[in-house]
Amino acid sequence: MTRDEISALLPFLANGTLEGDEKAQVEAALAEDTVLRDELRALRAIRATMQDEAEFTPGEMGLARLMRGVEAETAVAAAPRRTWIWQAAAAVLLAVAVGQAALTWRAPAPGGYELAGAGEAALSVAVAPGVSEEAFRALLLDAGVAIVGGPSALGLYDLAPSEGTDLAAARAALEASPLIDSVQSPED
Amino acid sequence: MDPHSDLIPRIAGGDKQALAALYRALERPVFRFIRSRLNDPFESADILHDVFIEVWRSAGRFEGRSKVQTWIMGIAYRKVIDAHRKRGRVDVTDDIPDMADDTDTEACIAASEEAVQVRQCLETLKPDHRSAISLAFYDDMTYGEIAEVTGVPEGTVKTRVFHAKKLLMRCLEGFGLRAKGVAT
Repeated sequence: MTRDEISALLPFLANGTLEGDEKAQVEAALAEDTVLRDELRALRAIRATMQDEAEFTPGEMGLARLMRGVEAETAVAAAPRRTWIWQAAAAVLLAVAVGQAALTWRAPAPGGYELAGAGEAALSVAVAPGVSEEAFRALLLDAGVAIVGGPSALGLYDLAPSEGTDLAAARAALEASPLIDSVQSPED
Repeated sequence: MDPHSDLIPRIAGGDKQALAALYRALERPVFRFIRSRLNDPFESADILHDVFIEVWRSAGRFEGRSKVQTWIMGIAYRKVIDAHRKRGRVDVTDDIPDMADDTDTEACIAASEEAVQVRQCLETLKPDHRSAISLAFYDDMTYGEIAEVTGVPEGTVKTRVFHAKKLLMRCLEGFGLRAKGVAT
């Protein structure tokens, strides 16, 4: 090993990572060369200062920012799955509505009785981004409405009031909810 | 044994707590390395964020052929290079001026006790030299690990470290001699 090669390895002796034959050769050269020993002393002093250097780091604020970034990534990745869940939920509800219609056709109510507004869209709503199916379902139950159509290509759901539900009150409950972006009725 | 290797499969599986644990363990050395290359704490914080987002995205592709810290430092290194490119800074050569091999070691050691002077001298180094000596002294990496991080042969790492330490010592010697009142 040349003297320059020995000198090139001194920083790795200073940081304690040099091993085996290379370490032995460097230490042998050091034993005979005061200039190299002085250089090693200087390198150790520089390393010690660098290691001790106090440095501001982003710390917990940086971690909070990272977690927000990861949440955003997760939300984007999950978006197609949520769409699938909504579509499945809408398909099930549609099937129930079709089944109900079939039953109604086979056994018409005596005297022409029918549910007020059943099967007819009285309201159309747009759900806020990121709302879970569970939260949306709870809101619909609270407001006393059911999905009778949708989602449309624009993501709109058609709703009809359940029996005994006051449409104006249901609309007010939906408009007041942060889960809903917009509420419209055919008359609007 | 790599102390962080068990976190990577968990991160790949979407475990945010594992990512937080890895961040807490490696944030300081990764940030310090980025900061040593950019001299801008705010831009460095942005790149640190980008590094760990990439860890989150690509943990499933980590093959375990290097230590986790080495892998992450490699991500940081590439992002720093990108940042330099965006700034229009180009670093293509390892050439350094010839220097006499007669450094005043005592002056250098005296100056090296001042962190500000060490930082100032580090900032005079070219980016590749600064990376090499930073990874060696801040992060105690082997030259093999530095070669993995920076994507160059081990011989190139040794050359860069050799030049970096010479320039660093010469710079610190200047501080030391000026403190002693000796003209440089």
